[in-house]
Amino acid sequence: MSEKNILTKALTETALTRRSFLKWSAALGGTAALAGGLSYGLKAAETAAVAAAGEGKWVAAACWGNCGGRCLNMAYVVDGVVTRQKTDDSHPDSPDFPQQRGCARGRSQRMRVFGADRLKYPMKRAHWEPGGGDKSLRGRDQWVRISWDEALDIVVSEFKRITAKYGNSAVLWGTRSLALAGGYVNSWGSTSSGTWQFTGPAVIGSYSDAGVDRLELRKSKLIVMWSTDPIMASGGSPTYNYLQAKKAGAKFIFIDPYYSNSARVLADEWIPIRPGTDTPMLLAIGYVLITEDDPATNPLIDWDFIRKNTIGFDRASLPEGANPYDNYRDYVLGLDENGNRAPEGHPNFPAKTPEWAAEICGVPPEKIRSFAIEIGQTKPVAFMESDASARINSAQSIGQAFVAVGAMIGSIGVSGGGIGRTRHSTAGNVGPNLISFGRSGTVLENVDNPLADVRINNNEVWDAVLTGKYTGGVGPKKDVNIQMIYHTKGSRLQTTVGQAKGLQAMRKVEFALCQDFHLTTGARYSDVVLPVTTMWERDGYLVNPNREAAFWASKVVEPLFEAKDDDWIDWQIGLRLGVVDPNNPEISLKQQTFNRVAGATVLMADGQTTEPLVTITEADLAELGVTGTPQTGRIPILQFRDAGTYQVPRVEGDNFTYIAMKAFREDPVANPIKTATGLIELHSQALADTVSAFGWTTIRPIPAYIPAERGYEATFSDWKKKIKGPYPLQMYNKHYYRRSHSEFDNILQLREAFAQEFLMNPIDAAARGIATGDIVKITSSEGSTLRPVLVTDRIMPGVTQLPHGAWTEFDDTLGVDKAGSDNYLEAGVPTVEGHSGFNSQIVQVEKWTGPRIAPDARWPQRIVLGEA
Amino acid sequence: MDVREWSLIIFTILTQMAVGAFVVLGIVHFFAVRQAGEAEADRLSDRALLAIGPVLVLALIVSLFHLGNPLNAYRAVANVASSWLSREILASVLFTAVGAVFAVMQWRKLGSFTLRAVIAAGAAVIGLFQVYSMSMVYQLPTQPAWNTIATPIAFFATALLLGVLAVGAAFVANYAFFVKRETPGSASVQSDLLHGALRWIAVAAVVLLGVELVAAPLQVAYLAAGATQAARASAALMFGQYGLIFGLRLALAFIGAGVFTLYLYRSATTAGQERTMATLAYAAFALVLVAEVLGRYVFYAAHVKIGL
Amino acid sequence: MAKQLGFYMDASACTACKACAIACKDKNNLPVGINWRKVHEYGGGSWVAHPAHPDMLIPSSVFLYSLSVACMHCQDAPCVEVCPAGAMSKNADGVVLIDADKCIGCRYCEWACPYGAPQFDQAAGVMTKCNMCTDLVAQGQNPACVDACPMRALEFGELADLRARHGVLNAIEPLPSAEITQPALVVTPHKHAQPSGRGTGHVLALPEEGYHGRS
Ligand SMILES: Nc1nc2c(c(=O)[nH]1)N[C@H]1C(S)=C(S)[C@@H](COP(=O)(O)OP(=O)(O)OC[C@H]3O[C@@H](n4cnc5c(=O)[nH]c(N)nc54)[C@H](O)[C@@H]3O)O[C@H]1N2
Ligand SMILES: Nc1nc2c(c(=O)[nH]1)N[C@H]1C(S)=C(S)[C@@H](COP(=O)(O)OP(=O)(O)OC[C@H]3O[C@@H](n4cnc5c(=O)[nH]c(N)nc54)[C@H](O)[C@@H]3O)O[C@H]1N2
Ligand code: SF4
Ligand code: SF4
Ligand code: SF4
Ligand code: SF4
Ligand code: SF4
Ligand SMILES: [Mo]
Repeated sequence: MSEKNILTKALTETALTRRSFLKWSAALGGTAALAGGLSYGLKAAETAAVAAAGEGKWVAAACWGNCGGRCLNMAYVVDGVVTRQKTDDSHPDSPDFPQQRGCARGRSQRMRVFGADRLKYPMKRAHWEPGGGDKSLRGRDQWVRISWDEALDIVVSEFKRITAKYGNSAVLWGTRSLALAGGYVNSWGSTSSGTWQFTGPAVIGSYSDAGVDRLELRKSKLIVMWSTDPIMASGGSPTYNYLQAKKAGAKFIFIDPYYSNSARVLADEWIPIRPGTDTPMLLAIGYVLITEDDPATNPLIDWDFIRKNTIGFDRASLPEGANPYDNYRDYVLGLDENGNRAPEGHPNFPAKTPEWAAEICGVPPEKIRSFAIEIGQTKPVAFMESDASARINSAQSIGQAFVAVGAMIGSIGVSGGGIGRTRHSTAGNVGPNLISFGRSGTVLENVDNPLADVRINNNEVWDAVLTGKYTGGVGPKKDVNIQMIYHTKGSRLQTTVGQAKGLQAMRKVEFALCQDFHLTTGARYSDVVLPVTTMWERDGYLVNPNREAAFWASKVVEPLFEAKDDDWIDWQIGLRLGVVDPNNPEISLKQQTFNRVAGATVLMADGQTTEPLVTITEADLAELGVTGTPQTGRIPILQFRDAGTYQVPRVEGDNFTYIAMKAFREDPVANPIKTATGLIELHSQALADTVSAFGWTTIRPIPAYIPAERGYEATFSDWKKKIKGPYPLQMYNKHYYRRSHSEFDNILQLREAFAQEFLMNPIDAAARGIATGDIVKITSSEGSTLRPVLVTDRIMPGVTQLPHGAWTEFDDTLGVDKAGSDNYLEAGVPTVEGHSGFNSQIVQVEKWTGPRIAPDARWPQRIVLGEA
Repeated sequence: MDVREWSLIIFTILTQMAVGAFVVLGIVHFFAVRQAGEAEADRLSDRALLAIGPVLVLALIVSLFHLGNPLNAYRAVANVASSWLSREILASVLFTAVGAVFAVMQWRKLGSFTLRAVIAAGAAVIGLFQVYSMSMVYQLPTQPAWNTIATPIAFFATALLLGVLAVGAAFVANYAFFVKRETPGSASVQSDLLHGALRWIAVAAVVLLGVELVAAPLQVAYLAAGATQAARASAALMFGQYGLIFGLRLALAFIGAGVFTLYLYRSATTAGQERTMATLAYAAFALVLVAEVLGRYVFYAAHVKIGL
Repeated sequence: MAKQLGFYMDASACTACKACAIACKDKNNLPVGINWRKVHEYGGGSWVAHPAHPDMLIPSSVFLYSLSVACMHCQDAPCVEVCPAGAMSKNADGVVLIDADKCIGCRYCEWACPYGAPQFDQAAGVMTKCNMCTDLVAQGQNPACVDACPMRALEFGELADLRARHGVLNAIEPLPSAEITQPALVVTPHKHAQPSGRGTGHVLALPEEGYHGRS
């Protein structure tokens, strides 16, 4: 076979020759690997001794990461090397019994696992010395391979030295062993849920499953998709399920600054809205519903539900001791405590008319009006959102304002209805799991971190490292002296706001370490880096992809190079610290997994009783290499393992139907929800108290609008006269196809497929002389980043979008980030409940005149220690 | 524009020039025989004829650079049944081969005059077919900028224009470096032939220039009014991004094949202006060669494909 | 009519998630720069002043849809016709295949194909292209891209069957007019689909980033 034709040959021949594999792994490694001569991929190919015509086997492989999707992933393994992937084909596909098909990222897992840029050995910074040495070299230094013993000894001696000198509160983030050794400082604050984190439970109890299941969804007449883009942010089946609802006749309205990818397929109507201004729109909807409702001629409000199931709607329904004007109706109508029009200066001033809202949110008043009337008149309406609109500084009111509208239109507890969250793994299919796994039988208990009272809010974490101060409740700021940072199972330096400060913080402390798969941002700025195994190198990964299915992913390959799993690392650290009992180690992951599978139960057709999921024989135990007892269940255990999935068939009207809060709707007294009063709280003192206790802001118990810090209003230096300020454009981030947060950003084929592009409306672009393909410099108060721009009418004028999660590439000479790292522009702005307000940022944009940056799919991979 | 396209530019220009020169030589030779007999006609044109071979070989070698897999190049003629590219390559090779056979025969005076004339005519036909095939290669429905009658017109115009001017330059060089030195005696016969040929060449060049000056702008105008977006986009590129090159090409061609050839004609009509005549012949050829390269550059750079 | 396999593409359901494109890359081990299946996004519209509130901007017929495009295995395949090396051929199932051993890498097929299907492999010096997963199809399976689509927007089968099930439309913007090559394709149009050659929109992509590169 001639060298040049190898690629094409490899495609047509099912048998994989060793030579073509070499070519393949070189391709995986990218050009950098080739240039380096010996790449990880090439080496792996040789050691794997790929047989000339090795027959492979499909193995159910984990698709892990925080992506919101839960899809079946299958890997074709030939002599320890994965040559292909596929997704669910375990049963014939139909809309009612759909395969759990995965996304482009899932198909790229093998590029992650076998990438030439995998971390291979423990390593330390070349110029590292105890105490850090020249700390300014972090992020710029060379790497030196070290043994596991040396690496762990360094970690432990630095931890001991630093805690002896400064106490355990000098350690930021940690593991079980560090908790046993006195603890560490943790950070806190909602990232995903925005202000729904506390609003949801306080106002409506279990807000996260306030919807209906996917078959009930098909009974909706109207599905409102408020700030949600399921195809992007809930990969796999959710969007397909929504498509079935559309085919069944539901109308879809999307309320989003962006004509999203889900909208292009589902939307009958798109209502563009400025980020962070949803509360005014929701309040104005309330205004229209209240003012236009006529129970006889134009019934818009479900009065029965409002009276029976909520408190705080009007003066009459306020809880005892409440301020009389702190009720929803008077606030919305702009009335004072006596029911008169509130004068200027009164907290309820002005009336929240569509005209008032329109000026802020950018939705024309008659559109707000017609939308309100439409949702008031249509039944049932599924009134859904994904929390993106609550990932806004100061946005405490949005959840409550949203629930108020949902309650008024009577969407709660009805077939085809639903209100609230459609995000992540429960998007579009809510309800309790039909399959539950058993217990793992773990020996090591979860350990509480003894330093629980020293917790730094995410918005302040880098400031706290740099300034030694943090907010620890009401009152003056508290002191903290962070000298060690431990990155593990999170990409905080990349995913936490205020990254520009974070990079400085990393160069301030005495010791920094990271354990991960690749040279992530956290790893790059650390002193010691520990390579960990991916889920493909570990035994057993069990997950409920949605309420109807269960997945069991098996180990695909033995650990690559010297990678070890987190538990092993933690155990070794624990041993060195003398905080774990060497005679009482953890049982194997394999046994733990088996225990959970053996104990798994599945709901029977009556929807009440359960039966064991798997049948186990002695022969199975031998085959699996575990200890256990035979049992009878629904399917043979090996069938489950080999298919990697079991999915409960469903039909409309079956006993698995789920409608949240149905009982509550019927009888709220007998079936209270988990709020302080058991009712939906449009007046929530509990929420107001929770927020005040954090120490930043106080709020009213009702959904009173607070303009977002760095929101639309902040783009003006003079709001009244409408004079724009130094950062005249809004910018927000979006969870993006290319990545799951920061994960997968190193995968070249995903970089190629999904450009890290900056979106601008043609009007804003033209004003700056910018065209598609230009490189722009985007500047916020924190710093600047460079990106190619895509000019498109898909995004509202005045609004820009930067996809979330690109690995920062700070350029020392240019003084800018080149990768379009969102958090390089985001600032830590602690407001209300200390959530992260990613979607409220303001920026200026200009054409970049410096050196043109190449597409990042062509950037060299971060390959360290190619081959020793 | 990468190496690949430069190789195409050089290949097409050189082969077209070779074909054009071969045909022009044949015509000049035909008349020269009538005027001054075979021997003098041969003295005028044989060296020019021999120069064509290396040009063609060079062109064929350069063409390999546009192949991703030159080792497979021999397969390029596999699909003469339907591929104009195969036909073009086949014709190029055949033209080179038959032309070479003829050149050797002519040089060594092998075979009868008639036999050689027949072979030369055959080579010329193959050559013209080669230029035609080359133009057909670009008659692709997906390429509106190429898929017009302008492409064959342009290719033949290039072939003949470069051909005449190359022959003119070659004659002048031949005269200066060999004829004058070898046998000053026959200089006057050769000198007459040369003057006559150059006058004829100048006239031909002006006519061909006229064709180009009409065809090229018409082509752009046609594209600009084109039915497809791709056609309009091509025109926009020719006017816009490549407008300067396009304009420069026309200007250079005009100066070389128009202005200089007028003077060439004048100096070829007057005796004793050999020096000026020679300079003009070289300059016209050089300018037009540059112009044609620029034109071909725009040809490859400004085509926009229909579809994705 | 001879047997002709083809693709079906439901543009009304495609979300541009590119699972199909990446599944193809995975199946065929394609490096960056070679994409046998591509997803093209087509959109347009504008923002105009609100008639009643001149200071507000509202979208005016802003639209967007996407198409997943591989080789169309055209019935009237110009690539086969023009390939000088005879490296392109149509097999008994109507699938257009490249024999890399014959290819000279002249890239002529690239100029002739209006779908951007032939993808040049710089390293190997030969042209490559969607082979309709002939190996999988021979085993009775679907092509990798088809089984990957989370929206079930792709199908594969005999063109006649696809037409019987989904109609005969085979071109919308930004696809070229079907007359050029007679693609073995059936499309369900998106509600905003525009006729080939007469669209008001444009392909949405960075000129060089991603894989819509012109270079
Ligand atoms: N600007 C902006 N920032 C955001 C967001 C936004 O929209 N805009 N979104 C926010 C949201 S919603 C969230 S949930 C957060 C997510 O924030 P993170 O959880 O920090 O994000 P990930 O990128 O998922 O980080 C996971 C890291 O852990 C590594 N990892 C995965 N598995 C293992 C393992 O088993 N062991 C070890 N040791 N490491 C492992 C991965 O390689 C990766 O580096 O980001 C938030 N950040
Ligand atoms: N591919 C991928 N999927 C993911 C993740 C990922 O990183 N990558 N992360 C997962 C995680 S942890 C989370 S928390 C979820 C997040 O899931 P989502 O909250 O659904 O995330 P986004 O895609 O950021 O935002 C959804 C939509 O809200 C719009 N939007 C943004 N701000 C506003 C606003 O102020 N008002 C309105 N009305 N709309 C707004 C955006 O334009 C977008 O279309 O995604 C999960 N899924
Ligand atoms: S959505 Fe998530 S789980 Fe599903 S395939 Fe993609 S990355 Fe994997
Ligand atoms: S996988 Fe399906 S939905 Fe996604 S881009 Fe391809 S055709 Fe479109
Ligand atoms: S799509 Fe292009 S490559 Fe495929 S058959 Fe048609 S013309 Fe040939
Ligand atoms: S590149 Fe290969 S397949 Fe394409 S036309 Fe040339 S020889 Fe044929
Ligand atoms: S049929 Fe196969 S080769 Fe063709 S695009 Fe689909 S996956 Fe790629
Ligand atoms: Mo999240």
